[in-house]
Amino acid sequence: MKENKNISGFKTPENYFEHFEERLFSKISEEKFPKSAGHTVPDGYFENMEDRVLKAVINSEKPTKVIPLFAKKYVGYAAAIAACLIIGFTVFNTKTDSSSLDSLQLAAIDTYIEDGNLNLDLYDLTTYIDDEDITDLNLDNHQFSETTLENYLLENVDAETLINEQ
Amino acid sequence: MVEEQELVTALQTEAEKESAFRELVMQYKERLYWQIRNMVLDHDDADDVLQNTFIKIFRNINSFKGDSKLHTWMYRIAANESITFLNKKAKRNNVSIENLKDNALRNLESDVYFEGDQLQLQFQKAIATLPDRQRLIFTMKYFEDHTFEELSEILETSVGGLKSSYHIAVKKITEFIKTQDETL
Repeated sequence: MKENKNISGFKTPENYFEHFEERLFSKISEEKFPKSAGHTVPDGYFENMEDRVLKAVINSEKPTKVIPLFAKKYVGYAAAIAACLIIGFTVFNTKTDSSSLDSLQLAAIDTYIEDGNLNLDLYDLTTYIDDEDITDLNLDNHQFSETTLENYLLENVDAETLINEQ
Repeated sequence: MVEEQELVTALQTEAEKESAFRELVMQYKERLYWQIRNMVLDHDDADDVLQNTFIKIFRNINSFKGDSKLHTWMYRIAANESITFLNKKAKRNNVSIENLKDNALRNLESDVYFEGDQLQLQFQKAIATLPDRQRLIFTMKYFEDHTFEELSEILETSVGGLKSSYHIAVKKITEFIKTQDETL
């Protein structure tokens, strides 16, 4: 190939030509896609949205009224029955295993979280944690062995994500 | 239009918070709505997610430290809210996320707020085959015309990763449409 006689001084970003075809073919394919998604909104939907949103914000901040689970008159009966059950349980079941109770509770909590019932997202969490809590966190970097980490990555990270994140 | 920095200061000042928030809603309601709508497809669902997004913005504005731009932060909240909504809805209806998308697409055919033609419907079906995050990247880039640099800030992913993800999405959509055309 003939060498350029004069050098212009221009440069291209790194790997520019390597991915050129990919970008070009992507662009050509895109040209055939419809230009709009086809969605519409009800008439006047965006009008007065400021008022509706503010109302929703105010409503979301109102403390919710707590309805007692049991009416007061039944509380006495319930307490009496509970007391009998506790006494009966203590008297007739002397063999207690606190470790199994602990593990049962932990398992129940694990299932509860795994089932997605703990609906806390990043924004909710940050409202409970301040900077001091974060510094107080004692992160133990050695709690996972290399083998455990490797196994976890092999099982849980798909190749496509890795390629995409490159 | 009020400058973003001024708006942040007003939003974090108790006396001006409400009027500044009105201004914020006015400026961003449509942009955030379309971002959400392209993910959840149904208008009523998009309205719910949009309201939740603004509620989160209002509640957390005091902890916004300006590490990113205000609009970047808001788009990020809207993106997370959309994905969280879809997962919660699938769980509530006891269906997989794929079934949820299939149902949404079926509903689209009779949706009064969808006036797309057959090609647009097929396009929506093709987009629905993408994994959530790739769908988010594709719709935000294609329909809302964000630059990769903006998307990189919003989604906290490298520009290279986003470009690659976007091109893979385009390829998948093209292939899906081609296969559908062949079977017709």
